[in-house]
Amino acid sequence: MEKKGKAGKWILTIVMLLVGLICIFPFIFMISSSFKVSGEVMQFPFHLIPEHFTFDNFIGLFQNGMYNFQKWYVNTVVMTGLCILIKIFFVSFTAYGFSKINFKGRDTIFLILLSAMMIPSDIMILPRYIIFKNLHILDTMWALILPSCVDVYFVFLLRQSFISVPESISEAARIDGCGHLRIYWQVIFPLSKPAIATMALFSFTWAWNDYMGPYLYISTMDKQMLSVGVKLFASGLIQDYGSQMAAATVVLLPVLVAFLFCQRFFIEGVASSGVKG
Amino acid sequence: MKSQKKVKMKTSKAQKKENRAGYLFIMPYLIFFIVFTGIPFLMAIGLSFLNVKYITRLDDLKFVGLNNFIKMFQSKEIVDSLFRTFEYALVYVPLIMIVGFALAMILNRGVFAKNALRSMAFMPYVSNIVAVAVIFKVLLGSNSPIIQGLKSMGFDPPLLLMDLKLALPTVATVAVWKGVGLNMVVYLGALQGVPTELMEAAQIDGATKWQRVRNVVIPLVSPTTFFLLISSIIGSLQNFTIIQALTEGGPGQATTVMSVNIVRTAFMKYDTSLASAMAMVMFIIVMIITLIQWRGQKKWVNY
Repeated sequence: MEKKGKAGKWILTIVMLLVGLICIFPFIFMISSSFKVSGEVMQFPFHLIPEHFTFDNFIGLFQNGMYNFQKWYVNTVVMTGLCILIKIFFVSFTAYGFSKINFKGRDTIFLILLSAMMIPSDIMILPRYIIFKNLHILDTMWALILPSCVDVYFVFLLRQSFISVPESISEAARIDGCGHLRIYWQVIFPLSKPAIATMALFSFTWAWNDYMGPYLYISTMDKQMLSVGVKLFASGLIQDYGSQMAAATVVLLPVLVAFLFCQRFFIEGVASSGVKG
Repeated sequence: MKSQKKVKMKTSKAQKKENRAGYLFIMPYLIFFIVFTGIPFLMAIGLSFLNVKYITRLDDLKFVGLNNFIKMFQSKEIVDSLFRTFEYALVYVPLIMIVGFALAMILNRGVFAKNALRSMAFMPYVSNIVAVAVIFKVLLGSNSPIIQGLKSMGFDPPLLLMDLKLALPTVATVAVWKGVGLNMVVYLGALQGVPTELMEAAQIDGATKWQRVRNVVIPLVSPTTFFLLISSIIGSLQNFTIIQALTEGGPGQATTVMSVNIVRTAFMKYDTSLASAMAMVMFIIVMIITLIQWRGQKKWVNY
C-alpha cells in the first residue's frame, strides 16, 4: 500500500510536471530566443542556450527609428503605477464604508454594485468612448486609469477582509475617541495589508496587460501603451523573430518577476478570496 | 421612561452621524461608478434603440424601435459571428472546467514540489496576452521548431492559426492555456475544504476511487463549480483581446466572433447603434444563462 502510494505520487508528479512545462515552455522559448539571431530562433532542434549569444535584439528594440518603444514603456509604467496607487486608497476607503460603518441603505447599494459585475464590459466600450470624450480624457491615460478604479470585485474582496477584523478592535479605537477616518487609516488599513497587497498585485497585472483600453481609447502613437505597442512592433517585423521575442520579453518580464517573488499573494489571494458559496 | 426616550434620541442622532459618515466614505466611489458604469450601461440600452452613426455625432437622433435588432438578425455576417461565439464557448468552457478540476485533483492527491508545480501552471494567467500571442504565432507558424520537429518525425502538422476550421478551436485552447491556472487554484482551495473523514468513511464503506470522486468530492465542491462555470461562460464571451492578438478575426472570417465584430461595427464601420444592439444581445444571453444556472443550481449545488 505504502509503496503503491509512493509510485502513484511519482506518476502524478510527472503528469503535473508535463502540464507545468507546457505552461512555461512558451516563456522559456521566448527568453532563450530573445538572445538569438533571428535565423537561430527557428532552428530545429531547439537550443535552450543560444549558440551566438547576442544583445542586439534588445538594443534594436529601444533604438529603432520606427517605433518609440521607450516612450511606450514609460507610459505603461506611469499608467500602471498611478492605477495601483489610486486604487489602493480609493477601493479600500470605499470598502471601509461598506464594512465598518453601519449606515442606512448600505446593503442595498452594495447589492446593486455586486449585480453590476454581471454586465459584460463589451457593452460599455461605446458609451465609455462618448463619456471620455465629454470629460476630455479621451486619448489620455486617464481614460484607462479612472474606469479601472470602479473595481467592484476588489471592493467586495477588501470588504470581506475588513469584516474579518474583529469589531472589538475598531470599537476600542472608537472609545479612545477616533473617528472613522482615523480608524480606517490607522487600524483597519494596516491590519489588512495582505489583502491590499493581493489587490495591488492583481491591479498591476491587469493594468499592465490591458490591451482593449489603449487599443480603443488612445490614438496618439506617443501616448500608446506596451500591449498595443508590442503588437504593432511584431506585425512590423514579420521575419525578425529575435526582435519579436525580445519585445515580448520586455513586456512580460515585469509581471513574471512580480509573480515569482509574490506568488503567495497571488495564489493564496485567489484561493482564500471567498469562493465559498 | 424619560431616560429611555433620551437614549433613543441619542442613538438616532448617532445613527444620523453614522449615515453621514457612511455616505461620505462611499460617495467618491459611487460617483465614479455612476459615471463609468451606471451611465454607460443606460446609454448602451438607449443607443441600441436609436439610429446613431458615428460616435461623436449625436444630432438628428431618432427612435427606431427594434430596427437595430432586426437588422442584426437579418445580417448573415453577424449571425455567423454569433454562432462562432457559441462554438468558441463550447470548446473553452468544458475544457477549462475539466482541466482545471483535474489539475486541482492531481495537486490535492499529493505530488512532489507541489507549490512549484502549482506556480508553473498559474504563470500563464498573469502574463500579457498580446506578448503571449507574439510567441504563439511564432511557435505555431510555418517553420517553427515545433512544426519542423513534427515534420521530421513524419507528421504533416497543419498551421493551426491559418486553418479555416482549426483556427477557432486553437484560439480557444490558447485561452484555456492562459486561464486554467485560476480555475485550478480556486478548485484546489475548495478541495482542501473536503473533510478527510468523509473520504475515509466512503473508503471504509467500500467505495471505489471513482465513486468517491463522483459521490463525495464533486457534490462537495459544487458551489465552486457553479461559481467557476458562470465566470467561465462570461469569460468565454469576452474574448476580444486574445482573438485580436492572435488572428484579428481571420483567416477570412474564421475567428470573427461577436466581441470582435462589435468593435469592428462600432469603430470601423461607425454603426454605433447596431454595435450597441449587438452588445445588448450578448448581455441578454449572459443574463439568461446566469438565470438558468441560478434556478438550476438548487438541483445540483449543495451548500
